[in-house]
Amino acid sequence: MATELEQAGFTNRSEEELGGRWGMVVDQDLCTGCQACVAACSMENNVPFVGEEDAGYGRAMHWIRIERLWESTEYPEVKMTPFQPTMCQQCHNAPCEPVCPVYASVHSDSQDLNLQVYNRCIGTRYCGNNCPYQVRAFNWYDYTDARIRPELTTLQNQLNPDVTVRRRGIMEKCTFCIQRIHKAEDKAKSEGREVEDGEFTTACAQACPASAITFGRIDDPKSEVSRAATSSRGKHLLEELGTLPRVTYLAGGA
Amino acid sequence: MASYAKPLARQKHAEEHEEDPRQHLMHDPLPRGQMNAMVMESMRETGPIFWIITAVLAAFVVFALGYEWYVLIMQGQGVAGVTRPDYWGVFLVNTVFWIGISHAGTFISAILRVLKVESRRPFTRAAELMTTFGLVQAGLSIFMHLGRVWLTYWMFPIPNQRTIWPDFHSPLMWDLMAITTYLLCSTMYLFLPLIPDLAMARDRTQGGWLKVFYKTLALGFRGTEGEWKNLTTAMNIFAFAIIPVMFSVHTIVSWDFAMATRPGWNSTVFGPYFVIGALHSGMAAVAIVLFLLRSTMKHYKYFIRPEHFNTIGMLMLLVSMAWAYFYFNDYIVPWYGGDIWDKLFQEYAEEGPKWYLWYTMLICNIAVPWLILWNRKWRETPWLLALAGILINVGMYLERYIIIPVGVTINRMPFTWRQYEPRIEIPMTVGTFAFFLLLYMLASRLIPLIPVWEVQEGQEAHLIRKIGKAEISTLSEME
Amino acid sequence: MSEPITLLAMFEDIEPASEGVEKLQQMGVTDDDMNVISGIPVKNTILGRPAAITYVSRIGMFGAILGMFLGIFLIYGIPYLYPLLVGGQPIYPIPQGIIITFEMTMLGLMGFSFIGLFVDSGFPSYTPQKYTPEISDGKVALLFSCPVNEQEKFIDALKNAGAVTVAPVEARHL
Repeated sequence: MATELEQAGFTNRSEEELGGRWGMVVDQDLCTGCQACVAACSMENNVPFVGEEDAGYGRAMHWIRIERLWESTEYPEVKMTPFQPTMCQQCHNAPCEPVCPVYASVHSDSQDLNLQVYNRCIGTRYCGNNCPYQVRAFNWYDYTDARIRPELTTLQNQLNPDVTVRRRGIMEKCTFCIQRIHKAEDKAKSEGREVEDGEFTTACAQACPASAITFGRIDDPKSEVSRAATSSRGKHLLEELGTLPRVTYLAGGA
Repeated sequence: MASYAKPLARQKHAEEHEEDPRQHLMHDPLPRGQMNAMVMESMRETGPIFWIITAVLAAFVVFALGYEWYVLIMQGQGVAGVTRPDYWGVFLVNTVFWIGISHAGTFISAILRVLKVESRRPFTRAAELMTTFGLVQAGLSIFMHLGRVWLTYWMFPIPNQRTIWPDFHSPLMWDLMAITTYLLCSTMYLFLPLIPDLAMARDRTQGGWLKVFYKTLALGFRGTEGEWKNLTTAMNIFAFAIIPVMFSVHTIVSWDFAMATRPGWNSTVFGPYFVIGALHSGMAAVAIVLFLLRSTMKHYKYFIRPEHFNTIGMLMLLVSMAWAYFYFNDYIVPWYGGDIWDKLFQEYAEEGPKWYLWYTMLICNIAVPWLILWNRKWRETPWLLALAGILINVGMYLERYIIIPVGVTINRMPFTWRQYEPRIEIPMTVGTFAFFLLLYMLASRLIPLIPVWEVQEGQEAHLIRKIGKAEISTLSEME
Repeated sequence: MSEPITLLAMFEDIEPASEGVEKLQQMGVTDDDMNVISGIPVKNTILGRPAAITYVSRIGMFGAILGMFLGIFLIYGIPYLYPLLVGGQPIYPIPQGIIITFEMTMLGLMGFSFIGLFVDSGFPSYTPQKYTPEISDGKVALLFSCPVNEQEKFIDALKNAGAVTVAPVEARHL
C-alpha cells in the first residue's frame, strides 16, 4: 500500500527499499490478545525469565509484546483500541543500526533483515534508545545462568539448541526467527532452489490460534503475506519516521 | 624596548571606586624568589586535617569506584536503575556533567590567553587541572554504563585478527575520537606551562623521591632562549588549536542525543546549547575551586585576589545569559506546537512527577546568576561566588538529568513508558566527585598550582604611569 | 689560540642583561657563542639578540597532515576494506568524514607540536648541563665562551655592566 505521493509517481525509493524480502502482516482485527505468540517466541528464542521483581520494573525481555491501549474515557466507559502485537519491525532504514559503535547491529543485504550480533555487542544501549518502537531488550543480569538462579536448572532442558543463549550486557530483539530462515535457506540451497513461501514460518505466526500473524516472502506476489500487506486496511507503525518497516498492521474492520 | 600602552578599561570605575591599582596582582610584584618560596611552602606545609580528608576521600573512592563498580560489572547493569525504555541513566548524566566541567579549563587557559586577558594569569593551571581530572571522571562514567565493559577495546580502531573495525557512523565513535583528542591535548597543554615551574621545584628540592620526580618531569629545562622559543611556540599552537577542539567535543557529546529519534532529544540546537551549558557549569566550578584554593592554601591570598573573582563572576554572568538564550530556543520550538511528542516531553518535564527538578534548574541556572552577579562587590566576595557556583552546578546537573533520565521516559510508544529511579548510580556518582577532589588534593602536594613564571611575566609587563593627574595602569606587549 | 672557557654572568634584571649582551658583542663574542638563560621568556629584540629559530610549528604542521590522512583512512579507508551496511546511511558518509578528519587533524597538530618541542629542545636531557638554580628565581644569566687567558678582561667588563657574579661554570647535574 503506497502513500499518496508514491501513487502520484513521486518516489525516491527503489522497489527493493519499499518492498523487502521477508515480511509480516499482523491483523489487529483478528488478534484476541491471548499472548500465545509471546509465549511461543520466548520458547523458540531462549528469551529469559527475568523474575517478578525485574518484570515489575519493566525489564521483561519479551521480543514481542501485546500493546493494550485505551482511549481516555472514564470507567465504565472503557473503549479499548485493538490489540497491537509489537515486535521488531525489521526496518529497512533502521535507526538502531548506524548508532552502534561496534557494528553489532547491521543490515543483512541478502535477507533485508536487521541483524543483532550477540557476541559483538558491548552494551552501550544506544540502539535501544534509538528504536522508535522500543522493541529491543537488554540482558540486565545473567538471567539464564543456573549457577546464579538455581530455580532455572530444569528449565535449561527446554532451551532451543539452534539459538544462542545470551549473557549479561547484550542487547537482543526479534530476528524474524532467523534460525528458521537459515534452516530453510540451507535446505533449499542443498536442493538447488530458492526458498518458497510457506515452507516454514516464525514461532509467533505458528502459534497464533486466530491466524492473526502471517509471515513469508513479501517479494513473492503470490504469497499470502504480500497479498495481505497490500490490503486497504494496512498501515505501518510510526510511518512518518521513514524507517520503512517490514511489518504491516491491518486494522479498521471489514 | 617596544611598548604599546593600553589603559585598562576599569580605570573609568577606578575613579568612582577610588581603587588603588596597586591592589592588583599585576601591580604588586614581589621578587620571583619570594613568590617561588611561597608556592613551594604552600605545597609542603599542611595540617593533619588535609591528610584526614584525603584518607576519607580515598576510602570512599575505593568503596564507590572499587567495590560498587565490581558489583556492577559482575552482576550486570541490573543493579543500576536502568530499564526498558530508560536505557540510559545517571551514568550518562555524569559523563556529560564532567565533560562540561572540563571545558572550563580550556576556556580559561586557551581562550583567555588568546584574548590576552591578563587577570587569567594566576589560575590557568588550577583550571587546566580541572579539565584533566574532569575528563578522567567522564571517562570512568562512560565505562560504568557499558553492559560488557571488558570489551571496550573493540571500540578502538586497531588492526585485529577478527578484521572487524568500529562503526564511525555512530556518534559514540565520534565521542571516542573527540574525547581522546581532548584528553590528550589538554593534558599536554597542562604540561607545557608546567615545565618551567617543575624546573623551579627541581631547583628548590634537595633530595629524595620528590627531587627525582621533579627532575624527571622537568626534562632538563634550563630556560635558554631556544627552549623558551620552542615552549612559547608550542603553547601558542595549543592555545589556538585547542579552542575548536573544545567546541567540537561537547558538540559531539550533544550529538549522542541529537542524533537519536527520541522526542525531546532530536533537536538541532543541541550542539551550541550543550557547549554553552558546559561553559556555564565549568566557570561555576572554577569559582568553587578558586575559593577553596584561596581559603586553604598558604600564601594564596597573594596570588588569587578579589579581582580574579570579579573576572570569573563577569564571565559566569555572560555565559548564563547565553545559556538562557539557548535554553529558550530549545524550549519555545516544541512549546509552539507541531510535534505532539516533543510537546509532551516538555510538559512531562514541567508538570510530571519530577516537576520540581525543572523549576530548581531554572532558578539555579538563571535566577541565581542574574540576581547575584550584577553587583561588583558581590562578585568580588569569594564565598558568595563559590556559593553561586555550587548552585549553578546543581542547576546544570539537573538540566542534564531532565534531558536524559526524565527524557527517556517519554517516547512514541506510550505502552512502554516507565519512570527511572537511580540505584547504584548514587554512590558511584558521589564516588566520582570524591575521586575528583582526591586527585586535586594529591596534585596540590605534588605540583605548584600557581604558574609563577607567568605571574612574573605579567608583572614585568605591567607598569603604573602618571598621565596628567591620574595614575594609569599600563600593559606593555613584551612578547 | 688558547682554549675557550665557558663563563656564566648573573644579572639581576633584563636591563643590565641586555647591557651585558651589548658589551660582549662589542668585545667580539659572536652571537653563536652566547646564550641567555632566564626565568621568564624574554623577547630577543629586548636583549639585542638574533631571533631564535624554532622548528616546532613546522613539525606541528607535518603532524596535522599526518592526522588528516589518518582521519581519512579511518572514515573512508576502513569501510572500503571492510564494508558493512547500516540502516539507510551511505557506506562512505560525508558528515562523519568531516568530524573524524577534523579531530584527527587537531590531534596530529597538537601531538606533533608537543613532540616537536621535545625533539627541537633535546628534551628530556638528564646529562650534566651548565646552569645555576638562581635562574628559576628570576635572575637572568649570560652564558658565553671566551679564550681562557682573556677571561679577566671579560669578567671586569661585565662586572662594570652590572653583573652580580661572573665565574667559570662547569656542567653539573640539574
